[in-house]
Amino acid sequence: MSDGIVAGADAPPPKKRRRRRHSQWTGLIYVLPALALVTVFFIVPLCMTVWMSLHKWPLMGLPRFIGLDNYERLLFDKSFWSSLWFTVQYTVVVTIALLGFAMALALIVQGQGRAVSAYRTIYFLPVVTGFASAALLWVWLSNVDTGLFSPLAQDLGLTEGRVNILANFTPAFWSVIVMVVWKMAGFFMVILMSGLQSIPADYQEAARIDGAKWLQRFRYITMPLIRKPFALALILCVSGSMLAFDQFYIILSGGPQNKTVTAVYKIFNESFVSFRLGYGAALSMVLLVILLVLSVLQLTLLSDRKDK
Amino acid sequence: MKALLGGAAIAAIALPGLAQAETFSLWVRSDGSEFMPKLVDAFNAKGEDKAELQIVPVNELVQKYAIAAAGGSEPDALSLDLIYTPSFAQAGQLKDLTEFAKSLPYYDNLSKAHLSVGAYDGRIYGMPFSADASVLVWNKNLFEEAGLDPDKAPTNWAEIREDAEAVAALGDDTYGFYFSGNCGGCNIFTFMPLVWASGGALFEDEGAKATVTTPQMKDAIEFYRGMVEDGLVPAGSQTDSGSNFFAAFAGGNIGITPSGSFAIGALNNQYPDLEYGVTYLPGKDGGWSSFAGGDNIVVSAKTEDSKMPAIQAFIEFAYSPEGQKILAQNGSLPVRDDVAEQALEGLDARYMIAAEAMAKGKTPYSPVFNDLINSLNGPWVTMLNRAFYADSGEEVDEAMEEAQDEMQSIIDSSR
Repeated sequence: MSDGIVAGADAPPPKKRRRRRHSQWTGLIYVLPALALVTVFFIVPLCMTVWMSLHKWPLMGLPRFIGLDNYERLLFDKSFWSSLWFTVQYTVVVTIALLGFAMALALIVQGQGRAVSAYRTIYFLPVVTGFASAALLWVWLSNVDTGLFSPLAQDLGLTEGRVNILANFTPAFWSVIVMVVWKMAGFFMVILMSGLQSIPADYQEAARIDGAKWLQRFRYITMPLIRKPFALALILCVSGSMLAFDQFYIILSGGPQNKTVTAVYKIFNESFVSFRLGYGAALSMVLLVILLVLSVLQLTLLSDRKDK
Repeated sequence: MKALLGGAAIAAIALPGLAQAETFSLWVRSDGSEFMPKLVDAFNAKGEDKAELQIVPVNELVQKYAIAAAGGSEPDALSLDLIYTPSFAQAGQLKDLTEFAKSLPYYDNLSKAHLSVGAYDGRIYGMPFSADASVLVWNKNLFEEAGLDPDKAPTNWAEIREDAEAVAALGDDTYGFYFSGNCGGCNIFTFMPLVWASGGALFEDEGAKATVTTPQMKDAIEFYRGMVEDGLVPAGSQTDSGSNFFAAFAGGNIGITPSGSFAIGALNNQYPDLEYGVTYLPGKDGGWSSFAGGDNIVVSAKTEDSKMPAIQAFIEFAYSPEGQKILAQNGSLPVRDDVAEQALEGLDARYMIAAEAMAKGKTPYSPVFNDLINSLNGPWVTMLNRAFYADSGEEVDEAMEEAQDEMQSIIDSSR
């Protein structure tokens, strides 16, 4: 009976069936370690976070069950919503900048020229730097008294005197964007490059023979054919940016005047500075749901419908 | 025979510490990494009880302690940044030390500021341990170059301003004044005394009420803002969240800066060529005040009673003239004023000014100090950063009113 269900209505010959059953169990054994890891490091902590978010849970002292109070409180927490709004703005700007730049890099290095592999290495190098070290480097470069950016701006005639770029919102914000693009573009370049290289050369050649210009070929051949790697890059970029923390914590400490506190930074502050772990957990749950919705949306919009 | 047995029994009850040497664990924040190991070594060398010392990074101490406490592995005793004592006591983490503290013959000579934040609900949970007072330092080399009397300390805000202007006039890379404009901890330590000395306060009613919007606070902010506006302060101060707090003055191109007594030892050791003076942090029209900082020693609530005699012996050793001397020679001010002079004997005379500042210093009392003051995004530093570099007086008022509201709401929701 159960065999019938497993094998389906049009049952294959018995010999083959046994082998398939066997391979199903082997499959389970193969995924078991991964399953265990996911359970221990994702499902269990997730359940604990949900449980925690229903408590007033100070760092010291005993937790107290308060039901949905934390969620009610966050509805009226202006600083949480403004941190979330800032995170969204950052995500939009950085995603456009990052993917645009990565696409340009990928187009430059997709060929086979002699210098190309050197370029690939150079563009990819910043990716292996940790966010924390890259951010510290940026802090040092931005220092108005001892850094490099201020005299550079002066020499280029952009400013008259010394300029503390981290002291005002707009230059501070863009300096973080530049840092992130510098650091992450190589990573997305690799993803997009793999997509570009999977396009058969004949397609481009045929189009060229038909008289299509570069822009037309890019629009009608390249873009549709790298849709999947592009979707992957987009989802990684959006979910990564929505979780941004290190760069804003280290370079700006949320300043000037808390205008660059991201959602995760707010969660960090609630949990580990103010020691309201329960409230921090509730905020995390909200962020998780938002990320989930965003990812599902992107997947639906970008998945190739004809494949289904 | 019977009498003999009875005598032995009484001795055993009265002197449980003698029964057997105890070992207890002790944590200190990394700020104490100079004096604490030396004090512990001297105590352990006495050969009876032993302290097992662990140094914890200053920014992680509260978290590390809380996590250890949740797992039941908290240290027996802890040298804790004094401002955290109320919040630890409120969370029920600390042992009541009232009897022990009051039994000490020199109880009245212990640092009042430390004891004031060591108390919660009328009981003593934290006892003075190490001390660091805020002072004003000035660069004598630059004063001389600027034609000022290098031995004359400024005694009010107008004099600070005049001296700063003279020093700044020396040239492009010389500045009159420095402060870390984006550091809450630095400014409660060095800026708030200017307000106190002028008659203002930040909290009232044991931390239940925030009093940000006072004329004294506004005057003090305007004093700093004026110096920023006139270019007497380097531009980097606006984004300095504390990393340059000491280093800026040590660089030798800053005329005057508020700092802490820790700077005396650090400057003497690392910058022997820099001639500097130490004075009190003055009020607007004179007078002075200081932030009495440092550590309280506390005992975890779950520490076994059998370990108490050893911990008490250690605290008493730290309070002894010998202990106070070890602390003083390694960068901490004495916390017992009847032996302070003796402990500081033979040291840099400038320590005496810091010790004096310490004795009359204040420490704000709040169980939510971290939230309000030390947090990088708390209302205190947000207000100061906005107000010090504000373009207009209205912006200053706005920043102060916002801080007042936010501080009060944080205090209220914590109760």
